[in-house]
Amino acid sequence: MSALCACALSLNGCGLDVHRTPAGAEGQQPHIVLQTALPPGGTGAQIAAAATAPEDGQWIRPAKDFASSRFSGLNEITTSNVAQLKPAWTFPTGVLRGQEAAPIVVGHMMYVVTAYPNLLYAFDLSKPGASLKWMYNPKPATSSQGEACCDVVNRGASYADGKIIYATLDNNVVAVDAESGKEVWRTKVGDINKGETMTMAPLIVKDRVLVGNSGGEMGVRGWIKGLDLKTGAVKWTAMHTGPDSVVLIGPSFKPFYKKDQGTDLGVKTWPGTTWQIGGGGMWGWISYDPALDLIFYGSSNPGPWNPEQRPGDNKWTSTFFARRPETGEAIWAYQMNPHDLHDYDGVNESILLDIPWHGSKRGILVHPDRNGYMYALDRATGEVLYANPYVHITSSDSVSLKTGELALNPTKEPKMGKIVRDVCPAAPGGKDWQPSAFSPRTGLMYVPHQNLCMDEQPTAVSYISGTPYVGMDVRMKPGMGGNRGFVTAWNPVTGKPVWRISEPFPVWSGALATAGDVVFYGTMEGWFKAVDARTGAPLWKYKTTSGIIGQPVAFRGPDGKEYVAVMSGVGGWSGAIVAGGLDPRDSSAALGFVGAMRDLPRVTPKGGTLYVFSLR
Amino acid sequence: MRPLTRAVTIAAAALACAGCSLHNAQNALDASGPQSARIAGLWWLMLPIAAVVWVIVIAVMLWGAGRKRSVREVMETRGGTEVVANDEARSRRMTRIVAAGAIVTAVILFLMLIADFRVGQALTMAPSTKVVPIKVVGHQFWWEVQYPDSVPNKTVITANEIHIPIGTPVVMELSSPDVIHSFWVPSLTGKKDLLPGYTRSLWFRADTAGVYRGQCAEFCGLEHAKMGVLVIAQKQQDFDAWRAAQLDSATTPSDSLAQHGKAVFLGTTCVMCHAISGTSAGATTGPNLTHLASRSTIAAGTLQNTDANLYAWISDPQRIKPGVLMPATKLDPRDMQALVAYLRHLK
Amino acid sequence: MCSRFAEPAARAGIVVLVVLALAACSRERRTFHDSPPAASVAAESAKAVRSDSGVSRDGPYGNNAWALSQGKQLFSAFNCVGCHSHGGGGMGPPLMDSAWIYGFEPANIYATIANGRPNGMPAFKSRITPQQTWELVAYVRSMSGQGSKAARTNRSDEMEVRPAEAQTKTEKPVLVTPPPTVTPPAQEGHP
Repeated sequence: MSALCACALSLNGCGLDVHRTPAGAEGQQPHIVLQTALPPGGTGAQIAAAATAPEDGQWIRPAKDFASSRFSGLNEITTSNVAQLKPAWTFPTGVLRGQEAAPIVVGHMMYVVTAYPNLLYAFDLSKPGASLKWMYNPKPATSSQGEACCDVVNRGASYADGKIIYATLDNNVVAVDAESGKEVWRTKVGDINKGETMTMAPLIVKDRVLVGNSGGEMGVRGWIKGLDLKTGAVKWTAMHTGPDSVVLIGPSFKPFYKKDQGTDLGVKTWPGTTWQIGGGGMWGWISYDPALDLIFYGSSNPGPWNPEQRPGDNKWTSTFFARRPETGEAIWAYQMNPHDLHDYDGVNESILLDIPWHGSKRGILVHPDRNGYMYALDRATGEVLYANPYVHITSSDSVSLKTGELALNPTKEPKMGKIVRDVCPAAPGGKDWQPSAFSPRTGLMYVPHQNLCMDEQPTAVSYISGTPYVGMDVRMKPGMGGNRGFVTAWNPVTGKPVWRISEPFPVWSGALATAGDVVFYGTMEGWFKAVDARTGAPLWKYKTTSGIIGQPVAFRGPDGKEYVAVMSGVGGWSGAIVAGGLDPRDSSAALGFVGAMRDLPRVTPKGGTLYVFSLR
Repeated sequence: MRPLTRAVTIAAAALACAGCSLHNAQNALDASGPQSARIAGLWWLMLPIAAVVWVIVIAVMLWGAGRKRSVREVMETRGGTEVVANDEARSRRMTRIVAAGAIVTAVILFLMLIADFRVGQALTMAPSTKVVPIKVVGHQFWWEVQYPDSVPNKTVITANEIHIPIGTPVVMELSSPDVIHSFWVPSLTGKKDLLPGYTRSLWFRADTAGVYRGQCAEFCGLEHAKMGVLVIAQKQQDFDAWRAAQLDSATTPSDSLAQHGKAVFLGTTCVMCHAISGTSAGATTGPNLTHLASRSTIAAGTLQNTDANLYAWISDPQRIKPGVLMPATKLDPRDMQALVAYLRHLK
Repeated sequence: MCSRFAEPAARAGIVVLVVLALAACSRERRTFHDSPPAASVAAESAKAVRSDSGVSRDGPYGNNAWALSQGKQLFSAFNCVGCHSHGGGGMGPPLMDSAWIYGFEPANIYATIANGRPNGMPAFKSRITPQQTWELVAYVRSMSGQGSKAARTNRSDEMEVRPAEAQTKTEKPVLVTPPPTVTPPAQEGHP
């Protein structure tokens, strides 16, 4: 009863009115139906037309389409038959670290990238049991393992022009011939000795391969680069700190809000020369709108975490950018978290949607930020249409639609020599990298995320090249209600949640929506689950050998059947306690995540297996 | 009697001369700003009053000591009504004296209390005019100094020497990450403790250009005595020029010795604790050295900033300031010379 | 009888007190100006540390409270805490448990700090003095309860995130194999 009250309170805190349905099939994982009921015809939101394509049964990039919908038009698996889903085949990769990658399906082939050492496996789906056709080993430097902040993950590869392209942990972007498995080109774009690593999945737009770096915890300087698809040559580099000339801010740059306007803000908003080690990497997701010819992505947190060592807005960290894919030229920017206090990176995905808005159609992108707000931005201008909380937030009060400013809660500001308690959301935010899905059939977004708060204390930190640059003791804990994870169905038109599933652990896997009105996601205990896209009612689940933090995908096999694939293998920042064998007695371990995950080693071992499911 | 008087006179004169001859002496009576002037004024108010009171008290005490014998005489010859009458008269007289003494004491103390309150009020009242904000962080055993700016990029970071403009109040934000320290520049301001976990503020103004020495005034560990600070008060335009120069990153030296010194700096123990803007050294454990050569002293006012002293200090700080965090660095003489040349280049 | 018994007892008591006092001296000694030898790390191997490697069982500072507290300070100041947290690990392996990849003897840990290790541990030989390295060695060992319990630190200046070193169970150190090298299935093989 008290748990129910706490949960209701927490949601009331977000301005929501809820009631809870009877517990789900598992008993201990109830799902909540909120009172904003879903209209039968869906919410009216649609995937941005230009950024999607007719369903061809393939899955050639992790986010499925340029709009990042993660929606499969296949409808063989439906709410009524999903209960018969069975594993069709599995493949142990031999790599026992966090598996965050999406399997890529091109024609009759499937490609999977593992965590470090970033092996690329190619399977021939037309052969019985999908036999392994070849394996490519990029042989990344072993020392790169010690530079990756949050497990040695990889978020997947992309396909274009007959090549599978992905980034290795030691900053090499490799293009591998999709047929033969031979390396076509390899470009080194970063330096592990400076703390740079790469974990993101490239997005290929026209003849540009877009990649960015990780290392906001290592004092790197963040960037995004455009590589030539044919040769791998770096065509442009946009830094996320420094003078306008290197941020690729020119005459076309028109930020919507006054707070983001000015010259050389990437230098002026930092003390001294700290912008050179100020973080702001790009290790998340990029979307692309062909109609506007703009790419959209967010930059990561500023470094160090200790905010007292970097007075100022710290531009352009934790900022959302729109750029031209060919040249990298910035068109607009919106800084969600100026002078970020709590490691709220801005790298989360953005889903490009067209929604009815005050009587007309509006092209927006919806971006669930780490700071706990779901932002709807106008794709063309960067104007904030709404920014509503999707988790319990104590670190700030609201986002002003007039000025675009985040109203911080001064009592949660970290100060040296003081412990700030109950900062919600915690450092991984209301949601971390795990990408949401959108179904045009329901008009809902399916957002896998976490429910964590933290205590924190800044400590003085030195920049010492090649060592971490954090300066914050963090101790995370479950948020209100006691469950650490949620899957929230979000109405992107009204800006309100529709239903919500509680999970005991953070939901660190991506989501997948299909035309059969089924939503798939994985849990850190190892369950692969299917729920009803309209109600969130549990339909099916299967226990894999390890926790799931990967991205589920759906594809049509050469036999014409619909398959669903996901990697199982716990790890990532949340699962580092298992993947890295960390000690649960130190709640500050893994930048404080261990404090909230002490019980994970009791429910899942390490793993690294590809699962492919189908109806028999 | 005469030789003793002579010795006392000589000693007093010597002390007085020593007091005069000390350059940049820490002297609360040598006030150079309104705050220290008020404190000095309070002193000059209290000193004569206290002196007069002291003289009176001593006089009364001596008188009382003299009276002691006659009282005994009275007691010995006691025996008749006359004595009782005498006693009553005496006790009435004594009551009046004690009452008068108590009233005078209370009045004096109350007047001094008012004076003290007025000085305290004047010292803590925030200035309404334009001020120079300065952050001062006390470390074991040195002072970190920051000049924040509304444009963050114009923040100046230095150590142990605080430049201020004359005629403009400075507002200091004081904090400590380790133990309690106390900031005290006697010629300019009273003491203010730096407490871990708290931010406290102190404001003062210097009216005369000059170099004023200050000192940690709260025992903070072994090298508390060698935790000095210099406040350099200068004309506004000199201060502005200094501040502008401090914004520059360190340049790469042109001579090969100093260039080698830079490589030594970045490859040895220095880089674990110190920062030099414009290089990959960005540590905050020790003082920022970007403009070390522009400072007149090293080791928190312990040594003059000369080649020889730098050499000695880097070679073995524990000999000069035992217990300081900085370890002895063993380098071959050529590297050490190069390192010193590089540090002297950091103007 | 009584006095005859008491006399040796008193004498023994004095001896015990003197020994304890001397022991206490070594615990409290502050060696600002010490130059302990660098461990001979050139031919160091985790599995073959000789007990006569010139280093006492707990290293030069394993029983010295001052050195341990200095080591704890340096562990933060030199960003060790960024990877190893306060002993629980993160980017780097945990240090408060019983498992040691590259050896648990003081000389092994010295070599790890000085020379670095292949999976991401940087080499600090030129940047940290031998004395500081030994202080770090002593502190790192104290995280899993090695060395004198009396000398281990008992309180943190920062937010409490783990039991104090002095309250940590003394783990029995064991050598574990280095992180598993990946053995991908053979090209032809199939699950």
